[in-house]
Amino acid sequence: MTLGPFFPREFAQGANDLTIVAGKRAEGEVIEIAGIVTELDGKPLDNVVVEIWQADARGRYDNPNFFGWGRAATDANGRYSFRTVKPGKVGGRAPHINFLVLYSGLMRQLQTTMFFEKVSDPVLDVVKQRERLIARKISSQSFSFDLRLRGEGETPFFDD
Amino acid sequence: MSIVSWTVEPRDPRTQPQGEVTGYAQTFRRWPAQPLVVRPHDTGELSGPERLERRLPPSKADLAGRGAKRAIGQLIHLRARIVDEDGAPVPGALVEIWHCNAAGKYLHPNDSNDAPADPNFQGNARLVAGDSGLVELRTIKPAAYPVPDTAGWWRPPHIHFSVWGRVWLSRLVTQMFFPGEPLNENDAILNAVRDPEARERCIARLVPTARASETALIYEYQLVVRGRKGAPRMP
Repeated sequence: MTLGPFFPREFAQGANDLTIVAGKRAEGEVIEIAGIVTELDGKPLDNVVVEIWQADARGRYDNPNFFGWGRAATDANGRYSFRTVKPGKVGGRAPHINFLVLYSGLMRQLQTTMFFEKVSDPVLDVVKQRERLIARKISSQSFSFDLRLRGEGETPFFDD
Repeated sequence: MSIVSWTVEPRDPRTQPQGEVTGYAQTFRRWPAQPLVVRPHDTGELSGPERLERRLPPSKADLAGRGAKRAIGQLIHLRARIVDEDGAPVPGALVEIWHCNAAGKYLHPNDSNDAPADPNFQGNARLVAGDSGLVELRTIKPAAYPVPDTAGWWRPPHIHFSVWGRVWLSRLVTQMFFPGEPLNENDAILNAVRDPEARERCIARLVPTARASETALIYEYQLVVRGRKGAPRMP
């Protein structure tokens, strides 16, 4: 038995596919991003809410034909997934996806950022363990990005 | 979607709960052991999704009227106003609300509290704030419930709020409490916020009703999404 929040499961349903906007396919390369959310000792966590905010394929946050926000919840194995398009460079920023994590035991919501490659970026450059923010490439259409909240291999999180 | 880009005022750390909380064991398994990294803010952090209801459809503003009969419990009418750090309303803000029933049971498969479900209680709502930043909801007052595997910790009655301000950095999830509840004094979550004024802002205000014929108690609550007077974030 756990302490909540018992984030309603229906809140996270139907919001993890960013490739379709108002019935139309968004422009860009379709990719899947999936990962496991774990706590101390690598234990996977169920019903963790993961939200993302990203630019479109051309690096725009204000494209009316793209909706760069999505939400997923982990299953009993700690696994979440998104279908989206690969974001472009935003000004001087390398392509990236902003993540927010909400869960019981997290007194404040945690923010981090996923990158596709180890390149120079003003945010990535301030992180010591920057390799932990680089997604693992499974194939050209599939990336893996685990969120280790605490413990070995801990994901760097940002103060906002 | 047009771009929404703002500068944001930092939250005052005294108004925010500590990451690790004595008596709340999960915080020591989940809150990062490494310090949070301070990063520069850019377009991504200072913009946010507009008209989020395109992806997250709103529901009806009544948690007490799911079934044929009204839900069991004290009917309340909740008026929550969403404002930014300057006190300006956030019109069109999406607001998600959820809480347990009048027996202390959540409508959720992971809640194994031995308390009865109420088939007429809805459990959650998703609303869009009007021009004055206001959302209104009819529901019942949630009960207190015991937290398993603790030394007698009971959560005071509370309502969960998840809101979006204008930008990614003003995303906020928090809890609203009720005035005059003795359990507020010892709640590990509410008291993880050091600043007493910030804790006070988490507590709704009971509004005197104008007529005895009112069917519900009225509570008002203001939620500041960010800034020095920003609401404390809570799980």
